[in-house]
Amino acid sequence: METTVSKKTERMVGKPIRRREDPRLITGTATYVEDIELPGMHYAAVVRSPHPAANIKGIDTREAEQHPGVVAVYTGKDIDHLGAVPCAISLPDLRIPHHHLLAQDRVYYVGHPVAVVVASDRYVAADAVDLVEVEYEPTDSVSEPEEALKDGAPAVHAEWPDNVAFTHDQAGGDVEKAFAEADVIVKERIVSQRLAPSAMEPRGTVASWNSGDETLTVYSSTQIPHILRLLMAGVLGLPEHKLRVIAPEVGGGFGSKCELYPEEALTAFIAMKIGKPVKWVLTRRDEFLATIHGRGHVDYYELAARKDGTMLGLKVKIIQDVGSFHMLLTPAMPTLSVLMLPGLYRFKNVDAKVVGVFTHRMATDLYRGAGRPEATHGIERMVEVLAAELGMDPVELRKKNFVPPSDFPYDTPMGVSYDSGNYAAILEKAVETVGYSQLRQEQQESRQQGRLMGIGIATYGEICAFGPSPALPAGGWESATVKIEPSGNVTVMTGVSPHGQGTQTTFSQIAADELGVDIDSITVAHGDTSTVQHGVGTFGSRNTSVGGTALVLAIRELKEKIETYGAFLLESDDVTYAEGVCTCNKTGKTVPLAEIAPKSWFGPTFPPNTQPGLIATNYWEPPNFAFPFGAHIVVSEVDPDTGEVAIKRYLAVDDCGKVINPLLVDGQVHGGVAQGLGQALYEQVVYDDTGQLVTGEYMDYALPKAAMVPTIETDRTETPSPVNPLGVKGVGEAGTIAASPAVVNSVVDALSHLGVRHIDMPLTPEKIWKLVQQGGSA
Amino acid sequence: MKISGSRLLALDQEQCYRALQDPSVLERCMPGCRSLVQVGDDTYAMKMKMALASISGLFDGKVRIADRNFPHGFRLLVEGSGRIGFLKGDGLLQLTPENGGTSVGYEGEVRVGGTISAVGQRLLDTTSRMMIKRFFDKLTETLASPQQ
Repeated sequence: METTVSKKTERMVGKPIRRREDPRLITGTATYVEDIELPGMHYAAVVRSPHPAANIKGIDTREAEQHPGVVAVYTGKDIDHLGAVPCAISLPDLRIPHHHLLAQDRVYYVGHPVAVVVASDRYVAADAVDLVEVEYEPTDSVSEPEEALKDGAPAVHAEWPDNVAFTHDQAGGDVEKAFAEADVIVKERIVSQRLAPSAMEPRGTVASWNSGDETLTVYSSTQIPHILRLLMAGVLGLPEHKLRVIAPEVGGGFGSKCELYPEEALTAFIAMKIGKPVKWVLTRRDEFLATIHGRGHVDYYELAARKDGTMLGLKVKIIQDVGSFHMLLTPAMPTLSVLMLPGLYRFKNVDAKVVGVFTHRMATDLYRGAGRPEATHGIERMVEVLAAELGMDPVELRKKNFVPPSDFPYDTPMGVSYDSGNYAAILEKAVETVGYSQLRQEQQESRQQGRLMGIGIATYGEICAFGPSPALPAGGWESATVKIEPSGNVTVMTGVSPHGQGTQTTFSQIAADELGVDIDSITVAHGDTSTVQHGVGTFGSRNTSVGGTALVLAIRELKEKIETYGAFLLESDDVTYAEGVCTCNKTGKTVPLAEIAPKSWFGPTFPPNTQPGLIATNYWEPPNFAFPFGAHIVVSEVDPDTGEVAIKRYLAVDDCGKVINPLLVDGQVHGGVAQGLGQALYEQVVYDDTGQLVTGEYMDYALPKAAMVPTIETDRTETPSPVNPLGVKGVGEAGTIAASPAVVNSVVDALSHLGVRHIDMPLTPEKIWKLVQQGGSA
Repeated sequence: MKISGSRLLALDQEQCYRALQDPSVLERCMPGCRSLVQVGDDTYAMKMKMALASISGLFDGKVRIADRNFPHGFRLLVEGSGRIGFLKGDGLLQLTPENGGTSVGYEGEVRVGGTISAVGQRLLDTTSRMMIKRFFDKLTETLASPQQ
């Protein structure tokens, strides 16, 4: 294993250097929201609804208010003048219910914030929550999205009795013609169940109000400090220049912290109200109730093909469980699914109909992959169903239908343009590495012994490098400032807000190479809206591809200025800067950056028409998304006596474009696979038929433990993206997207001789055991 | 969650009917019951402590008796809420003479919400059965020594 020790001439990009973030993380010296203590700190705790649907007949806060240590109790009427929890998406028929920070006269889901208690001690605040008496009048609720769409279902919002939150239809080509010409049409109902994002650090916020200059400082566990500042200013009615948002160390998000949550704004509101700093941190149990859930799809697929395996067209109906309110980007999720419906295949006829449905549940929103895993799971399951129907090998069927390498950039029927790729090559590499034909032989033999072995293949493409601004509500560009300090050391300020990605490491590698300086001379700062230029944030695998490009371009601009100073100091008109040194191309004289830097700040004289200081800022707008791809192969074995699935091998071959740090790419794949495998085998958020959440802690919500995750073999192909100068694509979601279809395909394959064609996730032992016992019929 | 079952008590039907509606008997026999006070003709206020999995808490509740059909049976409606959530139950008790004693049949539905549901669902079934068993055990014991 190489370490971070380096020489100036050594290339950093492409090296598996260890994360520069880790020393503080593993020695407990990182500062999370929970670690922030301010003088006079007060603590907030939230009273939540135990009912999925109820009228609030009254709230008695007197006992709580009189409890020693309690400073205030706020209810819906105290905040009704504040703005709503925002939804930033627009669709033509989108219905956005007013989402107050605290419930007004009704509650809409179990966990709905009803009141907030503030005390000088956090335990007192938690105790006093129980002293708030809320009188509820429960009403009928509806939990399942397909139930909610039926006539006569209870209306989540009285003004929209059909419970339709939005629709979105998108079509390409001529799907009816494709279906008319087809020899075979396969159909399946495919569910992508609700998942709990389960970031290691729960959500939390600290807010501090300075009444003297009327400024508010907010520390929040967020992926988007700059956007949060803008949104929170809007909710609180405060001009945004009076608001400073800091994302300190953030322990994961997976999309769940790409929001403005009611509690974040409430904490700020309380700080302003009581004139004391306030801390609020979510408990793990409340995290299950009140942090967005991912996925929540019921999809109906129809795939049309010729009998030689040529895929002709796809019809999909997507039912997206919205929950009772939209969060920041909820309606966007199924529209992202639509963009990825054709997968890596070249058929041009697609018809997609999406309906978003209100239910009496917590909202769904972005969770690692956000819409893309659902689409990939769908198409990769359908390809297998088609292969079974036609009696074709699934590898051959895929290869027959892939977009060929000569077709890039490839315009899909969904209106996006795949940037670059070689899909057949990556599948061939995976097939070869895993020894596919050998495995098929083993499968034959094991079946004769009564063993249930399966081989699962999943190929995927995904949308990364979010993204061109027309695709995002608050800009899709990213920013970077690079400053050469007087000492010659380098400070990078990035507008992205990493929370576990290792971006301080990758950006240091990029800057070290681009500037030709020692990596240890570089510091990467982010997440503070007062010190960092405006940025967009971290989601959709955009840090390296978009933020990294802004960094490269800022450095390139800076290098011109370094050369201006170098020329001035060398009294030359022809200099070149490289590897930390400016060289006169005529005399060969040199001046190092360490000498140029102080002179650029302190003079005493400066080059004509040149500003003092070596600092440059770049805002970069990507011209397109980038589209990584890959092939994962899983070998599994089902125990017919227990229904348990054992993963015997997991091979991930990914192409995320140019690799900055292979160690971090592997880490992303490992983590992603663990989450995708979790969805395939274990995890599901369950609400019972009365709308109660029944998976409210890790005893009931089966997040995979280390022992449940197999060894993951990783490999790569490297197809540079033409979209950005680094050639990177993104790898944040890859593992999650590929793992769920790969695992499910392997188990369906293991049971295929029983006639099994599809099994919905999670593949619990009970479900599998029943299938085996009943000879394949569920 | 649906609950049903029966238990044979060594009392005649009428004694049984009265015992099952006697607040002082119920207060003693219901597991976790802290107090049961009559507040109306058929209504009682109840405080009870409930523990389930890793959670426990006090419930403030209301018990109502309906559809009295002396001495054959009656309906029991229970509602309670506290820091760990709420519960709502509706059960029919039917008393039939059997082997010189009385068979008490019960059939009903219990709904829970809040934390009890979120973290205790998987234990709810066994916990309710345990509580019913404890209730009848205590009742048998109490009725055997009524002066206690």
